[in-house]
Amino acid sequence: MPNMTEAVVFDQFARIVAKSLRIDASQIAFDTQLTDLGAESLDLIEITMETETQFHIFLPDKSILETAAEVFGPGILEKEGYLTEEGKRLLLCRMPEADGGAFDGEVAIQDLQHYFLKVGTWVRMIQGLAQYTPAECRSCSGPMATSMGFRMKCEKCGQEITLRSGEEINREWVREYYDREYRSQVEATVSAAAVQ
Amino acid sequence: MNAFGSVVYDSPITKAWLPVWYPQGAWPEIACSRLDGLPCEPSLLAGLILSPGEREYWESMRAVEKRRQEWLLGRCVAKEAVRSLLERNLDLHLEPAEIEIVPDPYGRPHVRAALRPCISIAHSHGTAVALAALDPESRVGIDLESLAHRREDFEAIAFSPDERSLLAALSPDLRQEWALRMWCAKEAVGKALGRGLSAGLLAFHIIRFEASSGAIEVELRDGALIQFPELRGTPLIVYTVRESNFVFSAIIHQQGAVRMRPSRQEILDYLLHKMGELTQDWDYPDPVGPESRLFTELGFESLDAVVLCTAIQEHYQTPMPFAELLAEIGQQQRDLSIDELANFVDTHLGGGGGTGSITRRVQ
Repeated sequence: MPNMTEAVVFDQFARIVAKSLRIDASQIAFDTQLTDLGAESLDLIEITMETETQFHIFLPDKSILETAAEVFGPGILEKEGYLTEEGKRLLLCRMPEADGGAFDGEVAIQDLQHYFLKVGTWVRMIQGLAQYTPAECRSCSGPMATSMGFRMKCEKCGQEITLRSGEEINREWVREYYDREYRSQVEATVSAAAVQ
Repeated sequence: MNAFGSVVYDSPITKAWLPVWYPQGAWPEIACSRLDGLPCEPSLLAGLILSPGEREYWESMRAVEKRRQEWLLGRCVAKEAVRSLLERNLDLHLEPAEIEIVPDPYGRPHVRAALRPCISIAHSHGTAVALAALDPESRVGIDLESLAHRREDFEAIAFSPDERSLLAALSPDLRQEWALRMWCAKEAVGKALGRGLSAGLLAFHIIRFEASSGAIEVELRDGALIQFPELRGTPLIVYTVRESNFVFSAIIHQQGAVRMRPSRQEILDYLLHKMGELTQDWDYPDPVGPESRLFTELGFESLDAVVLCTAIQEHYQTPMPFAELLAEIGQQQRDLSIDELANFVDTHLGGGGGTGSITRRVQ
C-alpha cells in the first residue's frame, strides 16, 4: 500500500518478528539485527512470508549487491570480501537513506550482511516495495485483495493486476543504473584512451 | 569426556556419510563433534575455551541470551573438532583457547591453529555441531534444523517448482522431513562455499535425492555460478540424516574429483572387506588375499559375481562395464583375481595408479 509511514511499517513489522521469534515486540528497535534477536535462517523465511502476506509485496530473494553482480560481473562491486568504491557508490545510490557511515571506510561483505539484517533496513525495503502495491482499484476505487501468486484482484469490479516482485524491481533498477552510471563511464574512459 | 569436562561425541551423521566415500568407514582427516546444551555456566565456559579476542567479541555481543549461548556452544564444538583432528593426525595437543576461530570478510569461520584446518559450524534449538577437515583447501559445510514448529508452507518460498515436484510424491510426514533435509542441504553447500545463500535460495538447485543414503545432489545456478564459475556442471553431494527431531546435513567437497578418488590400495582393501562379507559362511582352507581367484579358488558362480559387481558400482556410485569384463574372461576361459578386479575398478574410477588418496597427499 503506498504512502505508509516508516513508523506504521515498523510497528507492523515488529509485530511479525515478535510473533515469529516468540519474543516481546518491545525488544525490537530500528537498528536491531534480526539474528541478534535469535532469528535463524528458517525464521527469516517465515518472517519473509508473513511480511509478504501482510504488506502485499514480494521481497527480493537476494541483496541488491548480488543482483547487481549478475549485471556487472564478478570483481567489480566486491573484491576479496570487501566492497569496492564502485560497490559503495551503487549501494549509496540505491539506499540514499542508509544509516550514516554504513558504507564508510573498509566494508566487508559480512558487515553488509549485518546491515541487511537490521530491522530498519527491512522496514525501508518494505516501505519502498509497498509503493508498487495499489491500495485501491484503478478503475473503480474498490478494495484490492490478494489473488493467486503475484496477482491482486478488485473485490468490487473483479479487475486483476499483477504485482511486481522485489527481485524484478531491483533488476530493472540495476540495469538502468548500469547504463546511466557505469557503462557511459567505461565508454568515456575507453574513447578518451582512443583519442590519446 | 573432554578437556572441559563435557560430553562431546562424534555425531551419528559421520556414520551416514562416510561409508560412501571411504571404504573402511574411517576418514582420519575429518572430525565432527556435537553438543546438546551448555555443559556449564556460560561465562565460566567462555573463560575456559575462548581466546582473548573471542572473549572480547563474546562479551560485546548485543544479542539475546539464546543467541549468545548458541554462539558459545558453536565455538565449543568447533574447537573440539579441530582439537581432536590435530591430536589424531599430528599428535598435536592444543587447549581450546589456543584454537582461535575468526570470521573471514564473508563471515565464514576460519581456524587460527596449526595447518589451518577447514571448519563449519551450525547451531539450532540448543544443539550445536561442527565439522572440521584437515585439508585447508577442502570445503566443508554442516547444518542442522529442528523439525518442530515449522510452517509447512515454507516450501513455497524455499524451493522452485522442480524442487517441490521432488517432494510431491512423499507422504505428508516424509515430505516435511525431506523438505527440511533439502533446506539443510542448501545451507550446507552455502556454508561450504563460504558465501551462505547470498546468491538466492534458487541458485542452489536440488537435482535429486536418494532416500536410502540420505544423499542430496545440489547444482549451482545463476548468481552462485557468478561467485563460483569453476563449479559449473559439478554436482555437489550433501549427506543428510534425521535423528529424532533434528535433521543434519554435511558436505565435504574437495576441489576436483581426482582428489576424492580412492587410491588403488583403498580399492583393494574395500574389495577384500566386501569379499569377506559375501563369503563369511563359506569355508576356505586359505585366507582370502589379493591373489585369490574368484571362480576356481573362492567357488564363485556367475550370480555371486553379479552381486559383487553390483555392490562395487553402488559403493563407488559409478557404473563400470563389468558385463564386458566377465564376458572377456569367459571367452579367454581364465579366472579373475581380486588384485585384477582392483585394477579394473581403479581404471574405471579414472585412475591408473595415481596419487589418489587425500590421506597420502596431506601427510
